[in-house]
Amino acid sequence: MNSAETTSAPKTDAPTLTIAHLYPELLNLYGDSGNILVLKKRMEWRGITADVREVHVGDTPSFSDVDIVFIGGGSDREQKIVCDFLLQQKDELKAYVEDGGVLGAVCGGYQLLGESYLMGEERVPGLELVDLYTDRGTPRIIGNIAIRSDICEHPIVGYENHGGRTHLGSGVKPLGEVLYGQGNDGITGFEGCLWKNVLGTYIHGPLLPKNPGVADWFISRALERKYGKGAIAIEPLDDTEELAANKVMFDRMMASRKQED
Amino acid sequence: MNVRSEIGVGLGHLARWGLRTVFRRNASQLPGRIALTVDPDIISRLAKKLQKGSIVVCGTNGKTTTNNIIASAIEAGGQRVLCNRAGANMAPGVVAALLPGSGADWGVIEADELSTVNIVPELKPKLLVLLNLFRDQLDREGEIDRVQDTIVRALASSPETTLLVCGDDPISMGVARRAAEAGMKVLSFGIAEDLHLPPERVPEGAFCQVCGTELVYDYRAYAQLGAFRCPKCGFARPRLDYQATNVHAGRSGVEFDATCIATGDQVHLRANFGGVYMVYNLLAAFAAATMAGVDPKTFQRALDSYSPANGRLQHFDVDGREVVLNLAKNPAGFNQNIQLLLEDKRPKATYIVINDNYNDGRDISWIWDVDFERLAGEGKSLLVLAGGLRANDLQVRFKYAGIDAQIAKDVSAALEAAKDMPKDQPLYVLTNYSALWPAKAELERMGKRHE
Repeated sequence: MNSAETTSAPKTDAPTLTIAHLYPELLNLYGDSGNILVLKKRMEWRGITADVREVHVGDTPSFSDVDIVFIGGGSDREQKIVCDFLLQQKDELKAYVEDGGVLGAVCGGYQLLGESYLMGEERVPGLELVDLYTDRGTPRIIGNIAIRSDICEHPIVGYENHGGRTHLGSGVKPLGEVLYGQGNDGITGFEGCLWKNVLGTYIHGPLLPKNPGVADWFISRALERKYGKGAIAIEPLDDTEELAANKVMFDRMMASRKQED
Repeated sequence: MNVRSEIGVGLGHLARWGLRTVFRRNASQLPGRIALTVDPDIISRLAKKLQKGSIVVCGTNGKTTTNNIIASAIEAGGQRVLCNRAGANMAPGVVAALLPGSGADWGVIEADELSTVNIVPELKPKLLVLLNLFRDQLDREGEIDRVQDTIVRALASSPETTLLVCGDDPISMGVARRAAEAGMKVLSFGIAEDLHLPPERVPEGAFCQVCGTELVYDYRAYAQLGAFRCPKCGFARPRLDYQATNVHAGRSGVEFDATCIATGDQVHLRANFGGVYMVYNLLAAFAAATMAGVDPKTFQRALDSYSPANGRLQHFDVDGREVVLNLAKNPAGFNQNIQLLLEDKRPKATYIVINDNYNDGRDISWIWDVDFERLAGEGKSLLVLAGGLRANDLQVRFKYAGIDAQIAKDVSAALEAAKDMPKDQPLYVLTNYSALWPAKAELERMGKRHE
């Protein structure tokens, strides 16, 4: 940035990120509103303005000025209601993702990212944003989960509750390696997906409060895409409480893993 | 009874005697478990002891209170009742409740929603009361659709049962609609006026149970309960058979007029325990007790002498400080408790305790659906403390609600943290299921219980 540009952009112009929260009234099964709240607060604590837009059933959203898209999980019934509306946004979302748009998807939302998933015995087409698909297995995978991921320093901890088994295409990286719990399919030892700036995962609890590193991954990716690499540094926050909560659950899982060995 | 069930009953009695006399334990489960193992059909055999029949109460929130009030009212009318008062609400608890004595007029039975399918077909109750359905314990119960399906299945195998359902709750009405289609008798209860309450966050049930369209409301009482209708398909709150009007619901108590539309009878009811949810519980209890032959005066008398001893809205005095203990185990319950707490205008402390044992649900993501943000407005006049196995998660939740919460390991520590507060400022202890009994035991040790 040269000096002429610096003077033309007054310092009082706080950076702003726009979050589109898709169908919060339907995809909210596992405290997903907590994820949005954490993103919003962690931006505000750093002087970044957070503009949260809720996308409701019947809306025709544009993602051209959106910086983070978030899709939560719903019950089968609610997910079915959402599905048709969401598929109408498919091209728009595809363009957003290909352009490096930041997107987070949890549980049912994660399954929607792929080519298809199973609802009961019915194969439901997905958004085809990431090369993955979901089928079903028994038993349902329910319990605490911890993974190690490259995107943040601390382990990611949370809860998983899914009948689906998600299979990643060869070019898609998993979010991390399972340390406790089951993850994508209970077999490969991987959990979630990373593709361009898309992060999908079965981990809720919700995902972001106890995993501030993941929250900051979303924020820094979005800042980088909007303002350019290194233009706005993401300041560290005091995460004492968040990391204490993370550690309590991580230690508990590691202790019970030892017992199981 | 055949030999098998006599052995089952005999062993159950023996276990009950042993637990109570030898081990001095509460015999709410084990005798039933033993009897069920020997004779899986034991509930239907024990049901024959009930000369007038039984009433089963289910619903996510309020079933222990409602069930116990119905039992107390029927007893106050001079009839004999067998009841699982301690809230052991799965099949073994029901068996244990029905084992004692040679007979009774009524069985008044609280049933866990998923256990209705093991209890209702065997007991074939005269009445099944469905209070409400909220999202609760997703890891154990699964999605709410599964709970609905289970209750529908339970009812299908007991076609003579009448369903008494909360007409204000679209999710419960989803069950009632299917029961009515199957030819069952359905009666509904609800609040027939706008209470003008501040809106609550509604995490579920916002969409039509039939066609999926977003519901519209003329008014709401709390959570998804209110005068709802689907703008598209006609699914709506039914014409209520039992109505509450002239409702006054505050922290210290509720009063309202209860009207039975079929007979036109109207009575004024009052109770010294508060909250809008209590209006629904009392109205349902009133309707059920009336159907069991209790007259309104007797019902009111039973209410006057009813004092919860099970940690639900119990008041204690610890060295001159009022401590209020209540169970809150899901967003709907917590939001109602927050409403009660805000209606108490005194500065105060609140100690919120969340465990994640099996019977609590191991997944506590729902704490993010509770409107703790409403407490942030209290500022310095509210001291917030967090406890339980998931105290750290709560502390993070509060941080993001704008509340600085310390961790306290038990009620004593919470009182210690609040020691600088003047004694006329109360402490509210809100706990989920498995944290309730330890908190209650601690308070009973430390303080006087008052009515």
